[in-house]
Amino acid sequence: MLADFIESIAKIVFIFSINLGFFAPILGWVERKQSAVMQDRIGANRADIGGFTIMGLFHPIADAVKVLTKEDFIPAGANKFFHTIAPFICLVPAIATFAVVPFGGRYEIFGHQVNLVIADLDVGILYVFALASLATYGVVLAGWSSRSNWSLLGGLRASAQMLSYEVAMGLTIIGIIMVYGSLKLTEIGAAQANFFRWGIFLQPVGFILFLTCAIAENKRVPFDIPEAESELVAGYFTEYSGLKFVMFWMAEFLEIVTISGIVTTLFFGAWHLPFVTDAMLLSFFQFAGPNGAAILAMLVNVATFFAKVSFFIWLQMSIRWTLPRFRYDQIMRLCWKMILPISLINIFVTGLVVLL
Amino acid sequence: MNTMTDRNPTPSFPNVGVPLEKLKPKRVRRRIELTLWEKLYVFEVLRGLYVTSRHFAANMIGFVVPPKGKKRSVFTVYYPEERVTLPPAYRGRPVLVARQDGSEKCVACGLCEKMCPAHAISIVPAERADGDRYPSSYILDMSRCVYCGYCEEVCPKEAIVMSAEYEGLAETDRGNMLYPKEKLLRSEESVKGRIQYIKRIYSKCNY
Amino acid sequence: MPDIEKDLHTDYMVINMGPSHPVTHGTVKFLATLDGETIVDLKVDIGYLHRGFEKMCESGTWQQVIPYTDRLNYVSPLINNTGYALAVEKLIGIDTPERCKYIRVIACELSRLADHLTNVAAAGLELGAFTAFLYFVEARELVWDLIEDLCGARVTANYVRIGGVKSDLPDDFKEKTARVFKRCRELWLDVDKLLTKNRVFIDRVRDVGVISGDEAIAYGFTGPCLRACGVPYDVRKAQPYLVYDRMDFEVPIGEKGDNFDKYLVRMEEIKQSMRIVEQALEQIPRGPINIDMPQFRWQSKDDIGNRIDSLIFHFKTVIEGIKPPPGEIYLAVEGANGELGFYLVSDGSGKPYKCRVRPPCFVLTAAMSRLMKGRLIADIVPTFDMINMIGGECDR
Repeated sequence: MLADFIESIAKIVFIFSINLGFFAPILGWVERKQSAVMQDRIGANRADIGGFTIMGLFHPIADAVKVLTKEDFIPAGANKFFHTIAPFICLVPAIATFAVVPFGGRYEIFGHQVNLVIADLDVGILYVFALASLATYGVVLAGWSSRSNWSLLGGLRASAQMLSYEVAMGLTIIGIIMVYGSLKLTEIGAAQANFFRWGIFLQPVGFILFLTCAIAENKRVPFDIPEAESELVAGYFTEYSGLKFVMFWMAEFLEIVTISGIVTTLFFGAWHLPFVTDAMLLSFFQFAGPNGAAILAMLVNVATFFAKVSFFIWLQMSIRWTLPRFRYDQIMRLCWKMILPISLINIFVTGLVVLL
Repeated sequence: MNTMTDRNPTPSFPNVGVPLEKLKPKRVRRRIELTLWEKLYVFEVLRGLYVTSRHFAANMIGFVVPPKGKKRSVFTVYYPEERVTLPPAYRGRPVLVARQDGSEKCVACGLCEKMCPAHAISIVPAERADGDRYPSSYILDMSRCVYCGYCEEVCPKEAIVMSAEYEGLAETDRGNMLYPKEKLLRSEESVKGRIQYIKRIYSKCNY
Repeated sequence: MPDIEKDLHTDYMVINMGPSHPVTHGTVKFLATLDGETIVDLKVDIGYLHRGFEKMCESGTWQQVIPYTDRLNYVSPLINNTGYALAVEKLIGIDTPERCKYIRVIACELSRLADHLTNVAAAGLELGAFTAFLYFVEARELVWDLIEDLCGARVTANYVRIGGVKSDLPDDFKEKTARVFKRCRELWLDVDKLLTKNRVFIDRVRDVGVISGDEAIAYGFTGPCLRACGVPYDVRKAQPYLVYDRMDFEVPIGEKGDNFDKYLVRMEEIKQSMRIVEQALEQIPRGPINIDMPQFRWQSKDDIGNRIDSLIFHFKTVIEGIKPPPGEIYLAVEGANGELGFYLVSDGSGKPYKCRVRPPCFVLTAAMSRLMKGRLIADIVPTFDMINMIGGECDR
């Protein structure tokens, strides 16, 4: 009982610190540096403490300090309540969806079963979709309550885009669920112990569709018309400054991490190293005794998981800096006329194959 | 593989009065019929990712193993620790040339004042006891100067040259932007390179 | 669904894409009347960068105008310089030496390169392809380095003079150009791979901003926008000036006049400009670079120091200005955006009586409202980019 409690607290603290404390600031740095290296330049690396600039890793701290000291204004005539609450509605789903993503398997440590996921829900993946839909409210409220034509246009586009891609995203996942036969992310992860049972081999089309829908849901380029910098100044968060602006930004980055986590879990073997099973890991670490072996195996798996997540973060950042952005009606056409039919065909074909 | 143009111009151009063989029109290939693979965005994304990843990899390797002659393979010059090497033709801020004894070579002829397109120079001429003209007051308004180089070009005495200085020109007070003679003077050695350059480009052999 | 719309109390929204907006990068105001996202009407407001160029010319001498012309189309300043100098020379009735003509051709084509690179880069940036922007900006930096070697400043060049050019080509210009163009071609291929066959990009720019050849001519289009409509009019071929009749280059033309054609035409013109510069560097003869008429072009420093007549003419032309015979003239050169014309009136004194510029992008901006009727607001971005409105030129 106490052990369960400690375990939960430990996991929550770990995920929070990794997400908010590590990934959110680091992703800002990664975005700047990666885009810079892709574009033949050095990124931001001037912020220093005491003369030491470690390749610009102090920039997130500088950003945080700058943002906290900015004036927080609400435009005249704007709806104060919604204007204030919209960033929170956007941020909370981005953090909370990571609760069901498993970052490691089951281990036996000190006689206690440790399951490396914060909440092993039976509905698994549906929880993620449910929360992602809530983020739509945040965007629409931000756009509408700012009392500015530009924000309104941004919020309008965002609402249509996010709703459509929710639907499509749900359908693309059905293939994977059929193949693995469960909604629980931990079971899907555990079922990928064999390298050739990884989701990417069983559902390649589903992977591409899901990644597209998830990037669209996250409003990143090429789907970033709600916040299109060149058309709408800054879209739905034009009238925000200071901490609230950063909350929108953080929500976007954290959702990148969440999407990478889900893609890794569903399609790329979750926490498994290719061709290495848990039993092999435990026997590899025999020298440390059963508990030590379990802890070491746990660390290896967690590291693998986060390595894969990092790769997908890199991929999403690369896509952002490569492609131009779509036009609003092209995004809608892409969703309803291309992704939806293909995902339905995917479901049929998968169903046939599973049946036979 | 030239995706841009297609070498069979259809002969139906509007007549603009120039014969076709002199005009040499070349149709751009706008009917890029995308193959099915290209219509699926995936392959385009992959091709774009290939281009940018190639730059990414080249630059990352270039940070560790820089190409010969340069410090790193990215294009950036890391100012202010590194400076760009300026060509000899570079026009920085104007300076007055001082002789050995510290006085200016300028004879206050007023050509630079008349030529300046921004009317930045004001000269008050005066004469010394032995008849030499000199500017008793020479004020160059740096907030008006556009660094065009006309003053250097028309000066008959090579008394004002465009040095290679481009830093330290910002002031917080507009009054400080009126540079008097003392602030403009530089010794002849320090601008020797520039004087040799202008002697060369404006000398007889180039005309 | 007209009956539903009757019951819903809908109204048009007027949105102001004002002078300070990320996409109106020449300070232009668009008043867009929107029905949802469709543009019902677009009013264009220019003049935010008007600096009184023509009036300023009247208060300076003929030579003092040259730095002012730098600031007209500030991404291709050498073309403006050349146009003005050619117009004044034709007014006077003089002809420059051969080497000077070749150097002017090289300068013009380098400027044209810079302009087209800037334009395609800005189009990529505003459509969201940041990397394409930065690759072409790198190419433009290299071209600017060449121009800096030539005349000392990257953008405000002040290089061409009436009766010649300021100074000769530097010694190692040919080798430097070869290196720069090699890198530019590599970057061109990269951007081509990123953008040209990219379905995202094509969907954004194809069939957007379509205009037919006849209508374009009626509006007064010239330059890449007219050539994109299929009309092969290029001032360098139709009324050859300098030594363009000895250069072998092709004129890319489009078909439909939409943004994709304009993009393709500009990309192809980048390659043709590089070709012209290379040919000019091959063919350039030795010789003087300025005419030997001290009443119009001041002499070398040796002469001024040693000969009294050079000195006198030098003083007279600087203080009073050169004196073209009274008359008027219009001369057009091929600017990067189209036909850049100079209409000069001289009354025999040292200051121009009138110096009017025909800006190519003035008519292009005026046509924005016709190009944008019935399109979405997101189409303003690529159309306005491809028109390449340069504020300094449109507003003067």
